[in-house]
Amino acid sequence: MRAKASRLLPVGIAAMLTTLVVVFYYPVGSVLGSAISVGGRLTLDPLVAVLGDPFYTGSAHSLVTAPASLPERFVAWVNAGMPAVDFGLFGFTAYQALLSTVVSVAVGLPGAYLLARFEFPGREFLRSVTILPFVMPSILVAVGFLAMFGRTGVVNDLLATVGLGPVNVVFTLEIVILAHAFYNAPLVTRLVTAAWESVDTRSVETARTLGAPPLRAFRDVTLPQLVPAILTASVLTFIFTFLSFPIVLALGGLQLATVEVWLFARVQNLELVEAATLGAIETALSLGLIYIYLRFEATQISTHGQGQLRSRLPLFDGWQSVSDPRRLGVFLYCLVAAVLFVGPLVSLVVESLTTPNGAFTLDYYAFLLAQQASAAVGTINPLAAIINSLLFGLGALVLALPMGVLVSVVATHEGSGSRFAEALLTAPLAVSGIVLGLGMLRTLVFGTTVFGHRLTVTGPIAIVAAHAIAAYPFVTRNVTPALSGIDDRLVDAARALGADRPTVLVDIELPLIAPALIAGAAFAFAISIGEFDSTVLLAEGVDSATMPVALERYTANRSLGPNLGPATAMGTVLLAVTTGSFILIDRTGRRWER
Amino acid sequence: MNRRTFLRHGVGSVAGLAALSGCIGTPSDSGQTLTVAAYSSFTGDGTAGNWLKSAFESETPEATVTFQTTENGVNEFIQRRSQGAPIDADLFVGLNTGELVRADQQLDDSLFAASGDRIDGSETVKSALDFDPAGRVVPYDTGYISLVYDAEEVDEPATFDTLLKPQYENELLTQNAEGSDPGRAFLLWTINQKGPDGYLDYWNQLADNGIQILSDWGTAYEAYQDEEASMVVSYSTDQVYYHGDDVDISRHQVGFLNDQGYANPEGMAQFVNADNPELAREFMSFMLSERAQAEIATRNVQFPAVEGVDPGGDFGEFALEPPEAVTYSYDELVGNVGGWIDDWARQIVSN
Amino acid sequence: MTTTDPHSESTNSTAVEITDIGVDFGHVTALESISLSIADGAFFTLVGPSGCGKTTLLRSIAGLETPSHGKVSIGGRDVTTEPPEARNVGIVFQNYSLFPHLSVADNVGYGLQFHDLSGQRDPEARVAELLELVDLPGFGDRTPTELSGGQKQRVALARALAPEPDVLLLDEPLSALDARLRAKLRVQIKTIQRDLGITTVYVTHDQAEALAISDRIAVIQQGQIQQVDTPETVYRQPASRAVAEFMGNNNVFEGSVADDGQHLETEGKLLPLPETHDRAPGTSLTVSIRPESLVVADSQQGDPAVLSATVETVEFLGDAYRVHCRWRDKSVLVTTAATTPPEGTVKLHFDPEDVHLL
Repeated sequence: MRAKASRLLPVGIAAMLTTLVVVFYYPVGSVLGSAISVGGRLTLDPLVAVLGDPFYTGSAHSLVTAPASLPERFVAWVNAGMPAVDFGLFGFTAYQALLSTVVSVAVGLPGAYLLARFEFPGREFLRSVTILPFVMPSILVAVGFLAMFGRTGVVNDLLATVGLGPVNVVFTLEIVILAHAFYNAPLVTRLVTAAWESVDTRSVETARTLGAPPLRAFRDVTLPQLVPAILTASVLTFIFTFLSFPIVLALGGLQLATVEVWLFARVQNLELVEAATLGAIETALSLGLIYIYLRFEATQISTHGQGQLRSRLPLFDGWQSVSDPRRLGVFLYCLVAAVLFVGPLVSLVVESLTTPNGAFTLDYYAFLLAQQASAAVGTINPLAAIINSLLFGLGALVLALPMGVLVSVVATHEGSGSRFAEALLTAPLAVSGIVLGLGMLRTLVFGTTVFGHRLTVTGPIAIVAAHAIAAYPFVTRNVTPALSGIDDRLVDAARALGADRPTVLVDIELPLIAPALIAGAAFAFAISIGEFDSTVLLAEGVDSATMPVALERYTANRSLGPNLGPATAMGTVLLAVTTGSFILIDRTGRRWER
Repeated sequence: MNRRTFLRHGVGSVAGLAALSGCIGTPSDSGQTLTVAAYSSFTGDGTAGNWLKSAFESETPEATVTFQTTENGVNEFIQRRSQGAPIDADLFVGLNTGELVRADQQLDDSLFAASGDRIDGSETVKSALDFDPAGRVVPYDTGYISLVYDAEEVDEPATFDTLLKPQYENELLTQNAEGSDPGRAFLLWTINQKGPDGYLDYWNQLADNGIQILSDWGTAYEAYQDEEASMVVSYSTDQVYYHGDDVDISRHQVGFLNDQGYANPEGMAQFVNADNPELAREFMSFMLSERAQAEIATRNVQFPAVEGVDPGGDFGEFALEPPEAVTYSYDELVGNVGGWIDDWARQIVSN
Repeated sequence: MTTTDPHSESTNSTAVEITDIGVDFGHVTALESISLSIADGAFFTLVGPSGCGKTTLLRSIAGLETPSHGKVSIGGRDVTTEPPEARNVGIVFQNYSLFPHLSVADNVGYGLQFHDLSGQRDPEARVAELLELVDLPGFGDRTPTELSGGQKQRVALARALAPEPDVLLLDEPLSALDARLRAKLRVQIKTIQRDLGITTVYVTHDQAEALAISDRIAVIQQGQIQQVDTPETVYRQPASRAVAEFMGNNNVFEGSVADDGQHLETEGKLLPLPETHDRAPGTSLTVSIRPESLVVADSQQGDPAVLSATVETVEFLGDAYRVHCRWRDKSVLVTTAATTPPEGTVKLHFDPEDVHLL
């Protein structure tokens, strides 16, 4: 038993690296390589072509095309009264990502406050399902958002009853940013809640006794302890929204195109060198940001966990409590959250029960049953898709947890290059899904000839591996802070008692970071359930189809007319199955924790 | 012809992390399996693909039809060819003009075999739809791009120029020509109307009048149904889905701008290295038969490609054909279409 | 310096041998070059102010720090490159460091799974035996959160001792406890150590604790060893001014040897020196006089071994007074067992033989 853990570690690392190389680095490398290599020769031409194109980089293009004229241009710009500068497609993409990040944090933080500091019925449930938006296919989010925020949507109806509106946000940057907040604010909430719950009450009490009013104590004591979690969530949100793709065109239109939208069009036209170059620049920017962040995080890691945890306040504590400004703020926030999160999801359920004329219908669910009953070739059975999703989700969770923990071990290791290694190992977050999909197609699906046999890497196990790779960075982001928060002397004590390093990890550290592992597991599961791009490529036929693949197929089905009814019904099923799974993961995890 | 079937074995690697599905060639006893490559929604319960499979199999008892569906359409096969990866299908179904142009531009040798003359019934295809001068691709159906509008909100948009009027401000939804078939067709239609030198200016004015360019047809149509705008670029078959007493037909009016519709024919072609070229041609012939044409039209909600076929039923009654069909030919698109679309997209994004 | 190590006669084998150890943290040197021999069965204390490097030295013995140079041997075996788990040491930290998710019994028994104990004792029996030893019988099923600070520390001690380590390492084990408990537990640790005869290295910043508990003391300051000796010698005959000042509130006087060779010239006064010493007249000299060597008494005017000082503050210690006086520009500390506190101007009398030359 004992010797096993120590032998398992190198085997685990080798297995993880092999999987990463096969399912991630090799496919991605095969695509991005063409950004710097033409005909086997290294070249900067594609990069120079993109960076020097004002369409992509705006005013910054002259950095590449005419660096010598820069001072002169700068002076001219200052003399012109420093007008707004256009930085092209990359500039706009970064701009909308920045706005999305700010809004996501602004929406996500009060949620963390609510979940971490107040006790109310359903809190555990709410916490479990915070990351539900993560699994929602963008087409359904678009449906939900149109129903909520559209010209004739719920919000405008509500505004009209009080004599306001209408507000037209559809096809504007605003609704794209709101949709980004829908996806990413829950990430902020989930990560910050965990940090908030571990704030040592004694430090807050000390500040209060020293004369700090509650808000000051929050700013001076609590907030600094939340900063690493907020920054983690911000960096992730920025990267996700920088790489945002389908939701932009679905809600905002081509005028608001991001780099990723453009990249997708290049792939469709098979302009692969330009696509690879865009992908390489995106990846370099994202990885650079991750690296800078990790360097910062390393300076922030502090030992806590010995502290006294604060007890939660009851949210509703008699009628008098309602006038408490904190609670008033929380109630107001609940209203916002209801519109932004609950609204689109409920709209989706409503849509699945409504005909385009607004009449009640069960046709879309009957459609699902008919698909289930059909034995026709090429038909995706909903039940099979549910089972596939759950199995792949479970498989991805089981794989992603050890992978994520291994990277966390690297991350918490004090050593030169650890940050760099961690940034590289976080790369699955930083690579465009389109680039990865293209790479998988060209390497894993097309295959390669070995000893006269065509080897391809597809099917369920490849899908699970791809999901695990997409998911493990989330495990790492949850586990690293927890792991570095463990008192080093616990590790020292165990080693002095004779346990080797891997054994200490299994015996002491992992049980102590159970909450972070559970959160990581939930993320891993959510990523797997929501994954579409790689799944549909690697599935090869309908036998390995998952819920999102079924849903996509049903959107193209016209047997009930040109509407998304069948997709919304499948989406409702997806919501229900995922909600159940999250609750199960949390419950199971908590039992294990005890 | 030695047809080889490929068995896929999922083999767990040592770590159990990756499946290596090796394709082990085993010769099958007869050359009677026809592999049809198509986009994924071509097959499934009640689709044209499944009807074709069972009808063809009962007509040709020794043949078995299998489908190979791809998410990336013909692009996957272009890339397979350019990388030297095997193509295990005999024919491709669902190819349009732009895609054929792309395939020919990307590859030195043609992906498809010239077989048009040798396919029974190919002479019955409407000549206006025939888009491959090399005779490789045979059209089997077509859609006509038109506007669908809400007659209670706006008057019928009769011409391209009326779309620029204030009445239609913020009322038109279309799709990204870079990724969507109807969106691309609509863009090509405007080029056809305004000329390669004038279309960008026209689109500038469309943009000023608040046209919205969404990702794909489904998204745009959903937004139309949610009353985000009262016109959407769609197909002239709209009323096939929406007719009858419980439907507000004013919301499903079809507008043929300048009395035209842009034809977007879909074709099929045999891969050059097909294992079963004869069977592939037989299948293509079958697809052009009157019975199959009627079924494809009904199930795909597209017009038959063959002259004189009346699908009957709801389709026959409610599908509207434009007074005049326009489309760009292969030769007109070659060397131009990429630049036209690229210039257009750059202009839209930059504004 | 004639005092002998009580253990050097009974045992002459060395349990821990440290040769020229240095530890760097980045650009900061924590330990310069330390060499130490710790005798088998000895209670050896590393004492010094915080940040002096004593904990680093202890962790180097445990293998928890990697020295940049030097050698560590335990029981004659070179363990310099061995990981902690291969060194057979037991360690106890100030903050107890009990595994919070394990019961008391599982904590104590944790190390047993990695060790084959002589006599093949049943692990459960061994755990019970150790809980008995630290006076916590029947506590096995509790969780660490249910224990008081003192109980936690005794569990930590039991856990460290369970696998029968060659060396017991204690890192400020009592610092988190209140004074009464600290004194009590100190005795308990000392008793257990003596009963088991286990070589123990103890780290503390508290000189009183070091004096009370140790067989030998190493005073460490700024990463270097100042003095290694018995508690008595370190206390009475500190090797340097730094040691003198650190080991209890010593009175230190600086000056030079007077021409007669019998006095120290300091603060414009002459203080008598011991009869025999080896310092030449005119050389500069620092001496120390312990507070208990000064006696508050009336005596003849003009006696050189008398300081005429003013009382500034008096602390009542129960069995004595600690009197803070001012003599000339210097603060002078006196301990007196008098029944009433001195006040005003007092005469501080001392025996020249109690003046310690540094």
